[in-house]
Amino acid sequence: MRRVTTLVAVMATAALALTACGGGGSGASASSSASGAGAKSSLKVGLAYDVGGRGDQSFNDSAAKGLDKAKTEFGVQVKELEAANGETDAQKEERLRLLAGDGYNPIIGVGFSYATALKKVAAEFPEVKFAIVDDSSITAANVTNLVFAENQGSFLVGTIAAQASKSGNIGYIGGVNTPLLQKFQAGFAAGAKAVNPGIKVQVKYLTEPPDFSGFGDPAKGKTVAQGMLDGGADVIYAAAGGSGAGAFEAVAAAKKLAIGVDSDQYLTAAAAVKPVIVTSMLKRVDVAVYNEIKSVVDGSALTGTQVFDLKVDGIGYSASNEAVKPFTAKADEFKAKIISGAVTVPEKP
Amino acid sequence: MSLTDERDVAAPAPRPSLRERAGRMNRWYRLGAVATALVVLLAVVRLVTGASALTSSGTVGAALGLAVPIGMAALGGLWSERAGVVNIGLEGMMILGTFGAGWIGWQYGPWAGLATAVAFGAVGGLVHAVATVSFGVDQIISGVAINILGLGVTKFLASLLLEGTPGGGQTQSPRIPSAGVFTTPLIGGPLGDLERHGWFFVSDLAGILKGLLTQISYLTLIAVLLVVLTYVVLWRTPFGLRLRSVGEDPYAAESLGVNVYLYKYVAVTVSGALAGFGGAFLAIAAATIYREGQTGGRGYIGLAAMIFGNWRPGGLIAGAALFGYTDAMQLRSADAVHALLLVVAVGLLLLAGRSAYRRRFGPAVLSLAAGLLIGWWYSSTETLPSQVTFVTPYVTTLLVLALASQRLRMPKADGLVYRKGESK
Repeated sequence: MRRVTTLVAVMATAALALTACGGGGSGASASSSASGAGAKSSLKVGLAYDVGGRGDQSFNDSAAKGLDKAKTEFGVQVKELEAANGETDAQKEERLRLLAGDGYNPIIGVGFSYATALKKVAAEFPEVKFAIVDDSSITAANVTNLVFAENQGSFLVGTIAAQASKSGNIGYIGGVNTPLLQKFQAGFAAGAKAVNPGIKVQVKYLTEPPDFSGFGDPAKGKTVAQGMLDGGADVIYAAAGGSGAGAFEAVAAAKKLAIGVDSDQYLTAAAAVKPVIVTSMLKRVDVAVYNEIKSVVDGSALTGTQVFDLKVDGIGYSASNEAVKPFTAKADEFKAKIISGAVTVPEKP
Repeated sequence: MSLTDERDVAAPAPRPSLRERAGRMNRWYRLGAVATALVVLLAVVRLVTGASALTSSGTVGAALGLAVPIGMAALGGLWSERAGVVNIGLEGMMILGTFGAGWIGWQYGPWAGLATAVAFGAVGGLVHAVATVSFGVDQIISGVAINILGLGVTKFLASLLLEGTPGGGQTQSPRIPSAGVFTTPLIGGPLGDLERHGWFFVSDLAGILKGLLTQISYLTLIAVLLVVLTYVVLWRTPFGLRLRSVGEDPYAAESLGVNVYLYKYVAVTVSGALAGFGGAFLAIAAATIYREGQTGGRGYIGLAAMIFGNWRPGGLIAGAALFGYTDAMQLRSADAVHALLLVVAVGLLLLAGRSAYRRRFGPAVLSLAAGLLIGWWYSSTETLPSQVTFVTPYVTTLLVLALASQRLRMPKADGLVYRKGESK
């Protein structure tokens, strides 16, 4: 019996050790470098990614792009840490505390899931500058809220969807039913209705919070897209992270059109589904991260809520697919109207 | 005792006269009668509510696709638990399967991916077998460790093997080429025409058949074969009898010369392979990519489907199908979920009638109250909030499990540690 107990202990230890390896190495993936073409800066930038981290070809990669740009331009030192799936707020706090304790300043939390942890740690280190992407709930003097006008970008792709639709029936797939994703939905529907007031917009969220699996379940994305296509939709906007790939698959099989999200998914999609991704709603997390670092380098750190909207090119749509060309004129027309204030885009559906 | 077939134990009828009648009635006729009644019920509700999604070929096809991974996990659980090993690690083995399918699948095609997924799942099962059978580790703890291990190992391997691939990254694989779809020749067109007419029962049946027989993945066909094969192997061969005897009373089996360790090893490894197949289906047929976290708890739901099905292949199919159908409904047409309320209400009222007829008044009153409540809910609302539609599959499964009041009987030695020669 004792032998068995020992073995259990060994097994458990092995399991834990392997999981820690698999977790993306919360402490190991530090890549500090000071090689830069630009002027050397003594600034140490800490970046805490959301689940997925560098290489997710989406949200986190966009943040990494902004960081890389700042690194080459200003020669700042960087440290990147990554969140693990299903971790607690305490683990996020620990990550931020580690960065702050090591003298990293500014520290950027990528994703609204850092909100609770960052609020707490920012209070503990009042002299350190923090920034958080996609959250505006924290109102501390040393925290910058980097938020986007996703509804404006979604409005533009909504106008494109309405122009491209022949059936007058389009679909919106949201990953998880959160206020953030409802903002996408509101903009998209408003944009489509601005072009074609009688258009039908089918709406479906893959999961309800606190179940966030809707951002990583392509099988569900595919099922929902098939349902919308069977229901007569011919353009589908998939704002569902990793689940979008499944939606594109269904759209490609039916030879209809799809709209990507966050980054230009036309560029990263597989050859078989690429042609159907007519455009993508671009959320320039890279611009936000770069601007934040730049402001600190320049000595005029950003404060409060910084909205990255159409005006500052923090949001937009991609035109890398030739198929979008016939629809851009009208979309750009609306873009100008939104910037001038002639058109206001709703935030809630 | 434990070596006899326990079928009559598993499906007891409350009164002798009923049991006699049920015994005379051919099982297939009963199955056919229940299925027909179900379709009639759906057809009536479709006519009343106009929710054509209830029996449309699209819904049924999607339900099939959603049910297969759950069913395969359940089948894996069946193999393991019939040999007396609780396998809560199905989720982890499934995750290993999705990764194997994605990693090899995108490079060498779907079939190589499928083989790798099955092998990866089997390795997961083997680890579980080593821990629980050879070392007598608590089966729940080992299973949980395998779930954590499966997630960690795939994350680690993905960052090693998928980073920098075209269209892939540390959280997803490039696209896996399609494994192809099978359509029964000649019937798709006529069934589609029938479905469009909207005739009572005929169109509903046509829609269901079209969903089941056209545009189905070849992997679905294999999955169906695996269920049949499992039934034949476990219930119609000496090997299967010995395997089940190991799960009922390993010491009795041992006294008759059965190599209990070997049978447990085989069962748990096959269990992992089947869970791996479920993962492969998710990655190859359902999603066409490997994506971190794409199993989304389907392994656990499979385990629930197996318990729902009373540790029998037919029952677990029913469990997986029920879950797949309601999930397809809520994903594809949230409006139809509202119509589903009426189906549930009528079903509960029928159940109440049956219970009353059998003089089981407690369940009858409970079903009646629930049926009336849901009926009132249906008539007093137009649509359901999205939070409610989202939980439809879970609630429906729970309701059926609770109110059909079936008597579940797990294998007698399920979850117990077996030590050779330590019979008391």
